[in-house]
This record gives sequence, structure tokens and C-alpha cells, in this order.
Amino acid sequence: MEILAFASFAVLVVAWLVAPTRGNVIVVSQAKDRKAA
Amino acid sequence: MPNTISAGDTAWLLASAALVMLMTPALGFFYGGLVRRKNVLATIMHSFFILALISVQWVLWGYTLAFGPDHGGLIGGLDWLALRGVGQDPGPYAPTVPHEAYMVFQMMFAVITPALITGAFAERKRFKAFVIFTLLWATFVYDPVAHWVWGGGWLGQLGALDFAGGTVVHITSGVSALVAALVLGRRVGFGREAMDPHDATMTVLGASLLWFGWFGFNAGSAITAGGLAANAFVVTNTAAAMGALTWMTVSWLHKGAPSVLGAAAGAVAGLVAITPASGYVDVSASILIGLGAGVFCYTAIQLTKRLKVDDALDVFGVHGVGGAWGALATGIFATVAINSGAKDGLLYGNPGQLGIQAIAVAASIVYSAVMTFVILKVIDVFVGLRVPESEEVLGLDASQHREAAYQI
Repeated sequence: MEILAFASFAVLVVAWLVAPTRGNVIVVSQAKDRKAA
Repeated sequence: MPNTISAGDTAWLLASAALVMLMTPALGFFYGGLVRRKNVLATIMHSFFILALISVQWVLWGYTLAFGPDHGGLIGGLDWLALRGVGQDPGPYAPTVPHEAYMVFQMMFAVITPALITGAFAERKRFKAFVIFTLLWATFVYDPVAHWVWGGGWLGQLGALDFAGGTVVHITSGVSALVAALVLGRRVGFGREAMDPHDATMTVLGASLLWFGWFGFNAGSAITAGGLAANAFVVTNTAAAMGALTWMTVSWLHKGAPSVLGAAAGAVAGLVAITPASGYVDVSASILIGLGAGVFCYTAIQLTKRLKVDDALDVFGVHGVGGAWGALATGIFATVAINSGAKDGLLYGNPGQLGIQAIAVAASIVYSAVMTFVILKVIDVFVGLRVPESEEVLGLDASQHREAAYQI
């Protein structure tokens, strides 16, 4: 069972590495807002 | 009778009762942050009012119905009405603490359980209907099921394991929440307008306080201040952490961002799932239980949303599904290496325990659903469950309480 516990935590760590990063969405919308203003 | 009272056990149990007491106002903040600002005070009032209401109900008749001398495995007798005979000497359930200490610890469980349901009917239930519902539900649902499992009733006799309330607290409240959401119907504007949380910081604060109080909920359920309490403390913290990490990760992969509210909800889901198991499983099992809670509860909430069920604050997904998972996981991962007074589960060569856990889950689901439906229908006839549409649009803070949460 210890192996399953380590494996499940490892799966989470890998998921964080491959998870999408969309921080630039905010920047884009702010730029649009500024242009509209 | 020789005095067998342990100062350590008594101190731990009273401190645990205070920790569990804090969970109900914490739940008010958790829910309060999730509703719109016009309903925050009414939502917090649900939890705060229940703390007062059930405190009195429990000492008058709740405790004796749940823990009084058994009648047919179904209900406790009235021997301890108004706590007659419940005093400073130990009672039958805990030989090393005053009976009153055990009673007040159990009171805090009876308080928080109906408060959990309030998240399902938030933003639309009439206050008077809520008061009557809570009193009837505590008497006719919580007290009997607590007796079945912990008070010498038929599920306890069958061998069902529920260390701190997977069936008694979380399945009963979660299933009742789903029934309440269906009977009351959707909020005005549901699915057409945004109903975003008005203060996510309040919700995270509430979740943090719930996590803190849960140490009393689970580790206090050992009743003794020893190794079993220490193990329950460790597995509780671990499952909460795994629930938070897993929910956040699943929502990140699903919706593209690591949700703060998701992490808070996931921690609660992990706490719910470990509750019945916390006195029977080791730390590796708690990691798997927390992982399962994050996945199953998140999935259940997506499903209820797809079915357009307005369980406003996701009570069924977190408490109903998390409680059922925890109860079944107890039948899988329980081991006498942790608790010599319990039984092994499926993984340790006793598959029958999983069957017993399934019976306990099914019984608590069916009983809670039927009784909650009946109680709600009766109240609807005599009082009316929902506020009028105009009052719902105005908000419950103004229409029900004539107060405002914020002056800014």
C-alpha cells in the first residue's frame, strides 16, 4: 500500500508539471480593455 | 463505583468538544463566502442559530434518543430525558471520562450535522421553515441514525465501523441536502445569471477553521488521549492535504487554472472521507482515501451541475459522496494493527466488512432520503418552504432578518 501512496502523490506532481498555464489571459484582456478605452 | 476518571482523557475530550464546536461557525463562514452578498448574513445565521437550537434540543431529548438505553436496536429510551442521571461519573460509553463530557462532545456532532444541509437550500429558504426543519430533522433523522451506529443500535450490532461519523454525519446530511435541493427547486435565475461567491477569502478562512476543528472531531472520537487519538490526528491531516491537492489538480486539468476555492473544497472532501476511517486505517490508506475524495467528490459535483440540480453549495457532492466513499474505504483499508478493538477490512483478508459497510451506507441513504422528503413536505403544507420570489430577489438578509452584512 505504501507503493500506491507514493505513486498517487507522484501522479499529482507530474500533473502539476504538465498542467496548462494561462496566466497571460488576464494580460490580454487588460490590453484589450485599454485599447477599447 | 470506583472513580476511574482519567484527567488526561477528560481534558482531551473537553478540548475536542470545543474544537468541534468551532466547526459550526466555521461552516457558516465557509458557506457565507460562497453565496451572493445579499444572502451572507442569512447563511451565517443558519449555522449560528443551529448551534444554539440543537444545544438545547440535545440536552432535553436528543441525547437520550441517540444514546439512551437501547429499544429494539432502533432508538434510545427516555431514561436520560433532560440529562436526568447524566452526571459527573462515567457513563456506559466511556469509562474514563465523566458522562457529561461524553454527552457534550456528542452534542457538537449533533449541532454541525443539520448545519451541513443548509448549504443545499441557501439563498431561498424561509427562516421559519428552516427552524422547524432543523428541529424535526435532528429528532427524526440524526438521533435515530446516531443510535443505530453508536448508541447500541442495529448497525453497531451488525459490526458497521464508523469512527467519527461517515454515515451518521456526512451521508445523512449529504443525502438530505440533495433531497432538499430537489424539493425546494432551483434559485431564481439559476443557470441564467452568475451566482458567483461574494467573498472567496471568507470561504478559505472557513475551510481552514474546519480543518483545525476536525482534529477534535476525529482524534477526539478516540475518547482517550493516547495512541489511537494520535493516529486519527495524523491520518486526518494527511487525507485533508491529499483532498486539497487532488481537487485542485483535477480542476486545474479540467478548467485550466488551479482553483483556490477548489483547494478549500478538496480539503473538506478529504476530511469528510477520512472521518469514518480515522480510527481504523494507517497513513498510507489515508493518502489513498484523500485522493479518492478529491476525484469522486469533484466528479459528483460536475454531474449534479450537468443535471441542473441546484444544490447551491455542493453539499451532496462533498458530504454525501465523500461520506459514502469514506465508509466504504473503511471496509477496504481497516486494520486491527491500528485499532485492536475493530476489525480488518478487505485488504487484510476480511471482505465481509466491506459488505457490512455497504449495508450501513445504503440504510443511512434510504432512511435519510425518505424522512427528509416527508419532513419537507409537511413543513411545506403548514409553513411554506421558500420565500416569495420578490424576497428572494431582494435577498434573505433584508427580507428575512432586516439586516445587512456590509455597510460599505
